[in-house]
Amino acid sequence: MTLRAAFATRVGDFGLEIDVAAADELVVLYGPSGSGKTVTLRALAGLQPVERGRIEIGGRVVVDAEAGLHLPPQQRRVGYVVQEPALFPHLDVRRNVLIGVERSPAALARYERLCAMLRIDGLDERRPHQLSGGQGQRVALARALVRPTEALLLDEPFSALDEALREEMRDELLRLRRELGLPILFVTHDLREAHLLADRIAVLDRGRVLQFGRRDEVFRRPGSRRVAELTGVRNIVAGVVEGRRVVVDGLALELPGDRPPPARAGRVDVGVRAERCILRRLDPDAALPPNCFVARVVEDRAFGNAHLLRLEPEGPGPPVLVEVASRPYEVLGVASTPRWVVELPPADLQIMPPGGPPAVP
Amino acid sequence: MSALARGGWLALAAIFALFFLLPVAGLGARALTDGDVASELRADDTWRALRLSLATATLATGLAALLGTPLAYALARSGRGGARLAAALIDLPIVLPPAAAGIALLTVFGRRGYLGEPLEGLGVSLSFTTAAVVAAQLFVAGPYFVRSAYAGFRSADPRYEGVAYTLGLSRWRTFRSVTLPLVRPALAAGAVLCWARALGELGATLLFAGSLPGSTRTAPLAVLNAFESSAGLAGAVSISVVLVVLALGVMLALSRLTQAGGPYR
Repeated sequence: MTLRAAFATRVGDFGLEIDVAAADELVVLYGPSGSGKTVTLRALAGLQPVERGRIEIGGRVVVDAEAGLHLPPQQRRVGYVVQEPALFPHLDVRRNVLIGVERSPAALARYERLCAMLRIDGLDERRPHQLSGGQGQRVALARALVRPTEALLLDEPFSALDEALREEMRDELLRLRRELGLPILFVTHDLREAHLLADRIAVLDRGRVLQFGRRDEVFRRPGSRRVAELTGVRNIVAGVVEGRRVVVDGLALELPGDRPPPARAGRVDVGVRAERCILRRLDPDAALPPNCFVARVVEDRAFGNAHLLRLEPEGPGPPVLVEVASRPYEVLGVASTPRWVVELPPADLQIMPPGGPPAVP
Repeated sequence: MSALARGGWLALAAIFALFFLLPVAGLGARALTDGDVASELRADDTWRALRLSLATATLATGLAALLGTPLAYALARSGRGGARLAAALIDLPIVLPPAAAGIALLTVFGRRGYLGEPLEGLGVSLSFTTAAVVAAQLFVAGPYFVRSAYAGFRSADPRYEGVAYTLGLSRWRTFRSVTLPLVRPALAAGAVLCWARALGELGATLLFAGSLPGSTRTAPLAVLNAFESSAGLAGAVSISVVLVVLALGVMLALSRLTQAGGPYR
């Protein structure tokens, strides 16, 4: 089963242009609020008119705008779950799940199977307000899957839950993904959630897909400065490519040898994740290894499990934000040592086309 | 000082409360002590007027629900412009003095009205009939239903409907088994308000339907008529007492319907 969507539409003065696809995998639509994630799902479900393009779900064309084909949501065979309001408040669990289904023995058997699979058996007579948040979302998932379904569309389904429940539901979804063998489109603006769940990720911004690819590819090789920003790259500085090196603030950084050099020389943006930067103890007698420079800690913010350090270079090199996990932070004695050697490993340098003024971290 | 201020507040509150309670108590006392009131209460005219009021108010409410529900739904689901239009449409008849409403109805449905005259030619006459009573009540009280229903539909999240469509439910089935149950408390509250307002309707009815015993003299008109007739206060008190009792019943029903949170919490 597959889902393919390439379409354009507008809502008021917001224009949306989407091109995504999903095999039997979990595709995360990730982007800030207002980037068009929800409208995309609504268009796939048939709740938002499409102006141009095609949508194919499970091998069936459900939208072909040029041919005037727009199947109504009732005929699209998609399961659609939204964060709030998930369930019909006036119906008990069984009626909520079976509302769109003929009560045949086969349907009841499927209902029982889904309830067991989602661990909501025995709740049949409960009303939504008698369910916990996690149970409510499980029932909503069961309802989305009780009819023949060719794709599952989930619009921030867990964001109303508290953190512990959210973790549990994410695990549940990863398990379901294996058991169902369906394309699942999952909308979120939570970077950690996106990273945890995605097989592939589409980064949306202002109604456009900026980058769509395997998760690690998007996180490690952001195609543009904006994607890097949206995917949490904290250090983005301007640089100039010279052969297999990139010069940043007077410091020549080596680029990885196992990758072809950047297609074009000249001005670029260089991104490094804060958690990929390495701190080394300063040895005044030793020469600096490649990709290293001396810097001084000017700010130290503690986030419980990690510290975010702002370092200013003493000589050539960019100002950087470095994330250090709590344990190494203590072992190294970062709190009492102001001067460090910062290493920017070649493999973690992301070279992007230049966009906008250099970011000052 | 603060104790004094507190006492002042309480005194003001008590004075205002008494302002409402005393006249109602006066009605009750008069009904219990005045022999004429007791005999008026048993009079046929009194009960005829009350029966007419109950029947017309109930019919007007039924019509308001039948016609007002689709209107409220359409307005609630249309865009921002629709919402502005709704506010104007719904509030105009509510703020219009009932006597002006009666005149407005006459200009259209009166014997020489824009629609009344052609209808007259077909042998159909609306003004000064029981139907005119219902029309006047519908005009004045119907907006209360529409307003409440509109608020109900506005607060019923349209995403419920979207989810229902993806579950295979047709538009009509979605409306019937998802949307309507969600707004039922608002519809019921609107119906009670509409019925109460229709029951008390006087001005528009008097001008558009007149005060003909048996066919258009509703309870409020009977109060007015009795007050101006030889029976005087006694006749007016008797019907008023019954109306007060009905109003109390309506209030109790309404408070049950609008209890915090509604029926699903």
